[in-house]
Amino acid sequence: MTLLARARNRDRLVAISVFMALILGWQLLSYAFPQEIVPGVPMVPGWQIVFTTTLKSLSLYWPGGWGFGSVAAGEEQSYFYAFLAIVYHSGATFLRLSVGFICGGLVGLILGLAISWSPWGRRLVNLPIQFMRVLPLLALIPLFQIWFGLSFVGEATFVAYAVGAIVFAAVVNAVGNVQLVFIENARTFGANRWYLYRTVILPAILPEMEAAVLLALGASWGAVLGAEFLGAQSGLGYILVFSRDYGYLDRMFLIALLVVLYATFSYWLAMTVFARINRWNKVAR
Amino acid sequence: MPTSSHALEAINVSRKYTRRDGSQIHALTDVNISIQEGEFVCIVGPSGCGKSTLLQLCAGLDSPTHGSIRTKGTPVSGPGPDRGVVFQKDSVFPWMSVLHNVEYGLRCRGVSATEREKVAKHYLHRVGLTDVVNAWPRELSGGMLKRVAIASVFANGSDVLLLDEPFGALDYVTRHKIHDVLLELWNESDRAKRTVLFVTHDVDEALTLADRILVMRGGKVVDNLRIEHQRPRNDEALAEPSMIAIKLTLLEHLGIGHAHRFLEGVKQ
Repeated sequence: MTLLARARNRDRLVAISVFMALILGWQLLSYAFPQEIVPGVPMVPGWQIVFTTTLKSLSLYWPGGWGFGSVAAGEEQSYFYAFLAIVYHSGATFLRLSVGFICGGLVGLILGLAISWSPWGRRLVNLPIQFMRVLPLLALIPLFQIWFGLSFVGEATFVAYAVGAIVFAAVVNAVGNVQLVFIENARTFGANRWYLYRTVILPAILPEMEAAVLLALGASWGAVLGAEFLGAQSGLGYILVFSRDYGYLDRMFLIALLVVLYATFSYWLAMTVFARINRWNKVAR
Repeated sequence: MPTSSHALEAINVSRKYTRRDGSQIHALTDVNISIQEGEFVCIVGPSGCGKSTLLQLCAGLDSPTHGSIRTKGTPVSGPGPDRGVVFQKDSVFPWMSVLHNVEYGLRCRGVSATEREKVAKHYLHRVGLTDVVNAWPRELSGGMLKRVAIASVFANGSDVLLLDEPFGALDYVTRHKIHDVLLELWNESDRAKRTVLFVTHDVDEALTLADRILVMRGGKVVDNLRIEHQRPRNDEALAEPSMIAIKLTLLEHLGIGHAHRFLEGVKQ
């Protein structure tokens, strides 16, 4: 085994151990704090509850359809209905997240590039960008609700705003950091403005964009759940709010676990895509 | 109509910069140069003498405060593919393969894929980079990156080449090898010789390469030395009395002539 492979194995072993320790730690906490806040729901729900009673109780959120009945219409709670509920509400959240993410990302990218077209553009947005950075995102949810209503468009727009603000600021910053010699080189080869943007500016900013996109991804998960807290009739955020109102701490915990799982997967996906796009930047020197 | 056949001319060129505190720097003052087609001209001078500024103006990346730059009689108003530039810093695009870098200029002008690949591969072969055609620039050494840059400007077919201290960061051996590569390409038999303006602070480099050396100091051209010695000029050629005389003149201009008086002895 090479030294590198051995180091990688060791890292993996450490990561798995930490993961196991967290699971075990939670279980120990559940023994330490067995008080119940509502009957059957302890302060710290152990795994034996989360993956049985709690999981099954998610059946309640399956509204029925696709040829299947619902608990509300008299069906028994079951893992199958719980599965349907998870698919249904996760799907609703994914849709808001992905539409908002893609629209916001594209608008942020295009606006950022357009503003960077001239030094004056950059000067103009310098101050607004600082504002956007410090504006508390979640505090804006009520505004978006009033402007766009309790609709898919409102929720997706909110996610798009969160993503767009981050991407826009990062693009303007990254374009400013592109080395002058690359721009001058392209111009002396006869590249026009458009071609320069496509073949030099855009690829040159991509390594810096990786961090921004991961940040935007994190913000978009926060934004989509936040948007769903306030009045959405579907989605993981809707289940969270509903559960909180009735003190179902165990359901909130299970949904939070799901979000962690999805967010981790989305991070992994983004990193894989960027590793491919920026492979020229990763090769050994 | 072009009034002269000079490949490159600077006519009464001045360039002033204003510092942040409002004071002015005269980078170039009333500079006049004219370079024949096919001529290899080196500009030598101490740092801060304005040689890089002059090259920037010739490239069209900056414009003069007074006067004008002309190529074949036409005033220069911006950068263009008729004047290829090799920069001091690494200018090879790291996000494109070596081949795509060399094709870049041709792609800007919409040359067909097969044609530009043929041209690019030809020049990559000429600079000795056949093995790394599909490599990423990051996988190449500093000397190889300069070869890519040289292949790129030659492949673009520019008649005028502007080189701004391109080999300053290379080691002695690498620099010598790349001088040979450059001169061989310049001597291409199948087309008219290109005009070269080569900025350097290295006296020996100028002596090895140039038909003519312009000396700059304080934003002015202060001397114009023709070198008749045939090429290639190896270290022995540089040690010949006629060359040593020129070298002494150059060192005198750079203000370190007194330290090299012993060379006078070699002259006898």
